[in-house]
Amino acid sequence: MKRATLGSNRAMWLMLTPYLVLLLTFGIIPVVMAVFEVPHESRTNPDGGWDAFKIVLSDFRLLPAVINVLGFIAIYVPITIMFVILMSLMLDLNPSNWKKYLRMSYIVPAAISGPVAVLVWYIIFSPTMSPLKDVLSKFGITKSEDVWQTKNLVFLFAIMAFFNIAGNWILIQYGSLQTISYEIIEAARVDGCTPFQLARRIKLPMIKKYIVYMGVLIGAGGLQLFVEPQLLNTGVYVGIAESWSLDQLAFELAFTNGDFGGAAALSLILLIPTLAGALLVIFKTDMFEEAEVSRKKGQE
Amino acid sequence: MGNLLTRNSKRAKLRQESRVAGFLVNAWLLFFAVFSIVPMLWMLLAPTKEDAEITNRHPLAFGSFAGYKRAWDNLLFFDDGVMKQWVWNSIWYTACIVIIATLTASLAGFVISASRLPFKRAFLVSTLVTMLVPPMALVVPIFILMDKIGLMDNPWGVILVASLYPFGAFLSYIYYTSTIPKELYEAAKIDGCSDFKLYTKIAIPLSGPLISILAFFAFIGNWANYFLPYILLPSSENYTLPIGMGFLFYSTPAINPAVGATSVPVYKPEIALTGVFVALPILIVFLLSQKRLVRGMLAGSIKE
Repeated sequence: MKRATLGSNRAMWLMLTPYLVLLLTFGIIPVVMAVFEVPHESRTNPDGGWDAFKIVLSDFRLLPAVINVLGFIAIYVPITIMFVILMSLMLDLNPSNWKKYLRMSYIVPAAISGPVAVLVWYIIFSPTMSPLKDVLSKFGITKSEDVWQTKNLVFLFAIMAFFNIAGNWILIQYGSLQTISYEIIEAARVDGCTPFQLARRIKLPMIKKYIVYMGVLIGAGGLQLFVEPQLLNTGVYVGIAESWSLDQLAFELAFTNGDFGGAAALSLILLIPTLAGALLVIFKTDMFEEAEVSRKKGQE
Repeated sequence: MGNLLTRNSKRAKLRQESRVAGFLVNAWLLFFAVFSIVPMLWMLLAPTKEDAEITNRHPLAFGSFAGYKRAWDNLLFFDDGVMKQWVWNSIWYTACIVIIATLTASLAGFVISASRLPFKRAFLVSTLVTMLVPPMALVVPIFILMDKIGLMDNPWGVILVASLYPFGAFLSYIYYTSTIPKELYEAAKIDGCSDFKLYTKIAIPLSGPLISILAFFAFIGNWANYFLPYILLPSSENYTLPIGMGFLFYSTPAINPAVGATSVPVYKPEIALTGVFVALPILIVFLLSQKRLVRGMLAGSIKE
């Protein structure tokens, strides 16, 4: 029998249209346009054509940018995930009322991103202005230039990104730990589980999905690195982070070199692995599977 | 007897060890909390001082409340008071994005959960893909599109692009599927309710928590957004606060001494005040909305 609610009628389409228009216009059409932009003639590709891909792939700035971004991800993602898990488990050890103020404090750095992060971390690592100047002097840092060097950037950006995001995720994973039923925890305690065993054998397996979800979002976010190197490079120490990240390279190709074909080619090159990663997460992991179940139920 | 004594002493030792461990854990949690607030504290205190005091006095010393007024007045010397325009731009762009993104995402989530339109699965998958693909892969293509349709350097270009809110649409879908039983829609339909009324009379009145979560994520994602407006809005009168702050970095000697002396009195207290304008609204919203953050993110991963 046809359900009364589920007609494919005009009103439903009309309500979906605003989102659909945005999705098509700014999610799908730009990709198609980028494909058509690639073969346009440019300074680096004077004859035009699909050589733009080859030219971008052989650009001397591409490999260092890839290494920088991968290095950044290799430091930032595992450290953030492990730290977040440890902190949320610690908070969950003996939950008490005063710890809510700690949790509030942890999210304060989440407000410090982009240009604010550049300003704040510039100050933190400045031996003359830093609230941590005693710590800096113990490490023998006497001038800002000791810290702000191209070779240190991967660590500095990892620190900035870590503090920007760790507090939020601590809160979220602490929330996920609260979804575990009290009876299960109590039963494990009665059976003689130590806090460490409780964390390893009960809590972590039960929040595994949330941890994977966190890993996916932190990893995807790690690819997005533009503001900090760009501002540092143009506004603080000129030349310190020239084409440091892939975002910056795409930006430079397009807006400094006027090579939109090359920039579009680079965007498409970046899109392929990220798209493959997204599809892998959706179809090959159990993330979002409950949503699929609810969708199927809705169709029954 | 001997065994019992040994066991008791072992237990006492364990209790003592766990007390010590508990103390160490709490001490670490407290230390990290203090460390977390120091950078924000510095930024809030910096505009209370004069530029020289930022170096000469203790980094967390308080100057005077008049310092905020002085820093604001100094900022107004920059580019004929363009700072006021940046503040206003940030407010109205973000407000428009929050409204459009929340409304379109909520409508999309409702339709997908309550209708039997074709291509629902394709739609859901494309929403998830858009949610997971980092925006950087799309920014240059979006620039090319905006250039072609004449929305470059037009605030509506940024507003419309940022209003695409796949995470919001997905959250709405999850929310409506898990909160409103299909039977309710069916009963309303039998009573003669149109599809529009299903949304306005049934879904919306039950959407309070969803709307607040959607608005929260839309706000924090866009108030401090840098990449998109930086690329799409080249004129300084169209800048938002974060872009304006970046502009101050490279056009004043506050942070970059290479700029050289200027007659515009914009130094570290003034830059810090701009930072306060960018960061404080986000901080306030975060502190007021911790539960929304946790609920939204957990619901976004799987359906509870």
